[in-house]
Amino acid sequence: MTRARVAAALAVVLTALLLQATMIAPLAVTVPVSLPAVLVAAVALVDGPATGISFGFTAGLVADLGSTHPAGVFALSWMGIGLVCGRLADRRSIRGDAATAAAVCAGGAVVSTVLLTVVHADGASLWLAVRTLVPSLLGDALIALAVVPAVRRFLRNDVLRAPHPVLSELDLAGRRG
Amino acid sequence: MRRLTQRQRIAAMVLALLALGFITLDLGGSSLSSAHSGVRGMLGSLYRGTDAVFGPARRFVQGVPSAGTNQAKVAALRHENAELRARLARAEADKATSAQLATLQLAASDTGYRIVPARVIALGPGQGFDWTVTLDVGTTSGVRAGLTVTDGAGLAGRVLHADRDTCVVLLAADPGSGVGVRLTRTGQVGIATGEGKGGFTFVPMDPEAVVKVGDTLTTGPVGSTSFVPGLAVGTVTSVRTSADGTIRASVRPATSPSGLDLVGVMLTAGDEGAARQALQPAIQGSGR
Repeated sequence: MTRARVAAALAVVLTALLLQATMIAPLAVTVPVSLPAVLVAAVALVDGPATGISFGFTAGLVADLGSTHPAGVFALSWMGIGLVCGRLADRRSIRGDAATAAAVCAGGAVVSTVLLTVVHADGASLWLAVRTLVPSLLGDALIALAVVPAVRRFLRNDVLRAPHPVLSELDLAGRRG
Repeated sequence: MRRLTQRQRIAAMVLALLALGFITLDLGGSSLSSAHSGVRGMLGSLYRGTDAVFGPARRFVQGVPSAGTNQAKVAALRHENAELRARLARAEADKATSAQLATLQLAASDTGYRIVPARVIALGPGQGFDWTVTLDVGTTSGVRAGLTVTDGAGLAGRVLHADRDTCVVLLAADPGSGVGVRLTRTGQVGIATGEGKGGFTFVPMDPEAVVKVGDTLTTGPVGSTSFVPGLAVGTVTSVRTSADGTIRASVRPATSPSGLDLVGVMLTAGDEGAARQALQPAIQGSGR
C-alpha cells in the first residue's frame, strides 16, 4: 500500500461523502442511492478483494462516525461489498461491471438497513429494506455507469496502480517455504 | 472468480469482528462519542467550506422534484399578495373616508348646519376638467339647487341642479363665478372671482382696504353671498395695485378642486331626505 494510494483513497472517500451529502441526498429521498458504496464496489472490481475489503471498511467507518447511528454498520456492509466485488473482479465490460456493482450495492443496502433496524436506528425498518431494493438497484446502476469507467482510468495510473497479485502470491509462497 | 488468500480471509474476519465490536461499544455507551463528534465536525467543516460551490447546485436539485408544485404555490402566493394589497388599499381608503367624515362632522358642529356626506362620482360632464363635479346624493337626501358644498375645511362649490339620486355642483373656482368673501383679519368684504387652476382673484369693496399676503378669506356674511357664511375660501398669495388704484389679490383656494372625494352638502331648514342621514351639529342650532 503506497502513500499515494492511501492519500488518494482518503481524498476519494471524503469527496464521495461530500457529494453524497450535498448533491445526491436530496434525490435519495425517492431513489435511495449511495455513491460511496458504488465507489467501493468499483474499486474492488478493479483492484481485487484485498483493496475492496480495506477500502470498504475504511469508507464505511468514516461514514458511520459522521452519522448518528452506531459505528460499524456501514463499515461491515461496505466491507462486504468490497469483498464480494473483489472476488467478482474479472475486467468485464463497463456495463457488466456497472451491473455487478449495482447488484452488490443493492444487496449491501439491504444488509445495512437490516443492521440499522436491529440497532434501532431512527427510520429503519425491514419493510424499508425490501421496499428500497429495486429503486436502490436502479439508482446505483445509473451511478455505477459513471463511476466504474472513472475508477478504472484512475487506477490505471502508474502511481496508483495496485501491486501485481501474482507477485504477492509468489512472495507468500516463498515465506512458507 | 478470484480466491481469497489466507491473509485476506483473516483480515476480513478481523475487520468484521472489529465492526461488530464498534457496534457493541457504540450501543453500550458513549465510548465512541468523541470520535463521532470529531468526524462530524470535520465533515461539517467540509460541507460549509464547499457550500459556496455546491450550494446553488444543491438548491437547484432540491427544487427539481417540487418544481411543478412550486409554480402553483408561487401563483397562489402572488394572487394572495394582490388580494392583500387591494385590501390594504381599501383599508387606507376607508381610513381616509373616516377622517373626512370626522372633518365634515366637525364642520357641522362648527357651522350649526346639517351636512349630508356625498362622494364625488364624476368630474365634469365631458372631456377635460370642467369646473363641475357630480355627487352621489340627490333630492331623496334633501339636496336641492343652491345649497353650499364643503369639503369640511372650506368652500367647495354650489349645487347647480339636483336629480333624484345625484346632483351637479359648480366648483367655487369656476372661471367667471364670483363668491362674496370677507377678509378674516380686517373684516373687509369683497368679491373673489374664480380663476380655475389659478384659484381666485380678490377685489375688496373698499378701494383703500389693506390686503396683505397671508390674509385669509372666508365666505361673507348673509346678504353678501349666497353661500353659507364663514367657510374658508383661500389665502392671499400676492397683492397688486392697478393703475386705477384697484387692489387685486391672488388667492390660493382652501379646497383643491382636483382632490375632492368626500364632500358635504349643507342643508338648510326644511331640507329633509330619507335616503341619506345628514351629519348633525353637536350643538343644536337654530335649524337653519
